[in-house]
Amino acid sequence: MTAATPTPARTVRRTPKKAGAAPPGGPRRNGSVPGRIALYATLTVLLLAFVAPMVWALSASFKPRADIFEYPPNLIPSPATLENFRNLLNGEPFWNWFAISVVTALLATVIAVFVCALAGFAFAKYRFAGKRILFSVMFSSLSVPFAVILVPLFVLVVKSGLSNPWFALIVPWVAPAFGIFMMQQYIVQSIPDEILEAARIDGATEFGIFLRVVLPLLRPPLGALAVWQFLHSYNSFLWPLVLISETDRYTIPLGLNILFKAENRSFDLVLPGAVLASVPTILVFLLLRKQLLEGLSTGAVKG
Amino acid sequence: MTALQAPPHGRPDGGPGKRPDGPRGAGRKQRQLAPYLFIAPFYVLYGLFMIIPIGAGIYLSMTEWVGLGTPEFIGFDNFANLARDTSFHKALGNSLIYVLISVLVVVPAALLIAQALNTKGLRARDLFRVTFFIPMVLSPIVIALVYSLLLDRNNGLVNALLRALFGAGNTDWLGDPTLARLSVGFVLLWRWVGYLTIFFLAALQAVPKERYEAAELDGAGVFRTFTAVTLPGIRPVTAFVVVTSFIGAAQLFDEPFLITGGGPGEETLSVAMFVYRAAFDRQQFGYAAAAGLVLFVIVFGVSQILNRLLSIGRTS
Repeated sequence: MTAATPTPARTVRRTPKKAGAAPPGGPRRNGSVPGRIALYATLTVLLLAFVAPMVWALSASFKPRADIFEYPPNLIPSPATLENFRNLLNGEPFWNWFAISVVTALLATVIAVFVCALAGFAFAKYRFAGKRILFSVMFSSLSVPFAVILVPLFVLVVKSGLSNPWFALIVPWVAPAFGIFMMQQYIVQSIPDEILEAARIDGATEFGIFLRVVLPLLRPPLGALAVWQFLHSYNSFLWPLVLISETDRYTIPLGLNILFKAENRSFDLVLPGAVLASVPTILVFLLLRKQLLEGLSTGAVKG
Repeated sequence: MTALQAPPHGRPDGGPGKRPDGPRGAGRKQRQLAPYLFIAPFYVLYGLFMIIPIGAGIYLSMTEWVGLGTPEFIGFDNFANLARDTSFHKALGNSLIYVLISVLVVVPAALLIAQALNTKGLRARDLFRVTFFIPMVLSPIVIALVYSLLLDRNNGLVNALLRALFGAGNTDWLGDPTLARLSVGFVLLWRWVGYLTIFFLAALQAVPKERYEAAELDGAGVFRTFTAVTLPGIRPVTAFVVVTSFIGAAQLFDEPFLITGGGPGEETLSVAMFVYRAAFDRQQFGYAAAAGLVLFVIVFGVSQILNRLLSIGRTS
């Protein structure tokens, strides 16, 4: 045998850092009672600063148009009314906007998660010629500002007849470099080489290994990336703004934008719109917050 | 089957004929090809939707084109005009302000909040962490319209509150140049700080406890511990956060576009907004492409330098 030393199965295996779940190992022994009180007071004030605008908007969306700017604002609208919601849903193609936003974001998310996991796996677990340079090319695409491709991409997409939102809102955005980076970091840290070897000996193909061995182990970063990508697609504004001109093909942000820019500043329509628009993202975030917050930090801590 | 029994693989030569070579050889070939196939989807999309557009942008930047007919080649005239264009200068200056707000205000604020959240035995840490993150989840348009209603000069809650407290609340938050910039900056802070806090908090939790104990034994105070233990411990994350914020703020579009519309006048206009207006309000596609390219060169150049200096983004 030429290779006397078998490729050492890497024994040192790092488990991913669990940022949120880590026991409170804080540095400061802030034992003093006044210190504690000051800390909680500061954090609570901050909490209110974050929550107040959202609560105000939520509450105002149930107020009659005349009460929206009342001072002092009542937390519980009285009288409360669904009038604003009814006007929005009856007068505007809101559900169209909603459907286009949600479906394009979901499709982009499913594809992106798969593409990123596959590429992240390749960068984490294979040695191949050109890997370093390919990785830096991928990574450096993070620092390309969108403004530079905005105009030429728009021109190319329109000229090639691909400006249909179902193509143009999805396909260009399904391979985010950040996602590949995040996957690569996680796989390096937490997928041991041994299980890949074992699968190879069992005769699995490389793609089979990815699909049946690696992918099931990637649930935390897949969840993180899924939320991240969903938020990005769903909230994106500039690209849909230049791309879509027909009102009933608008995404939610575009729809809210025209309502708000309308001459009579229809804030009684815009507020319920904002509330409804935030439901999917807040829901997705609350459901998958653990994965997202931990997934974001694993990548960066090792970064 | 345990991994320990795995026979060695990856020998540099073809391998002695001891074993049937067929399936092994095929396996090796497949294994050499696999990574390229796995990264191919990314590079196809990258080529189509990044490299080609950048190339097309370089070409467009040297033309004059209203979007119809053939672009007329004019060499570097667009760049020469940009150099003289006062609204482009204004946009560059404003984007610089947004970058400075991000890097010098938002990033340190995130570190402070993370430090507070990292306090030993803090209750409700998760509640704070999750709530601070929520602005990042909302659409910029939602944030923008809520803040423009709150900051409205006549009806806004902020002025109403000032009137009630101090009897004078006629501040034109979005109409005065300085205040408009500050308002955009405040919304940036509100939107980004919780997101960046997540990274800092994870980094702080990863600093080995022994280092803090050693510092305590040496009698180091809070400030000394922070500069000697905490900061070096979180350096990689700080680098990542600074670069991310820099790139994000340099290409800022949504907030100024939605909150102030770039106004009053062009006092909050960002470079990305300048590009948008040139192309889609005035149909100067070549000129817009040139402005986009200038932003690209600055952002890409600075972030490559930062990456190199702070050594991030390497394969393991």
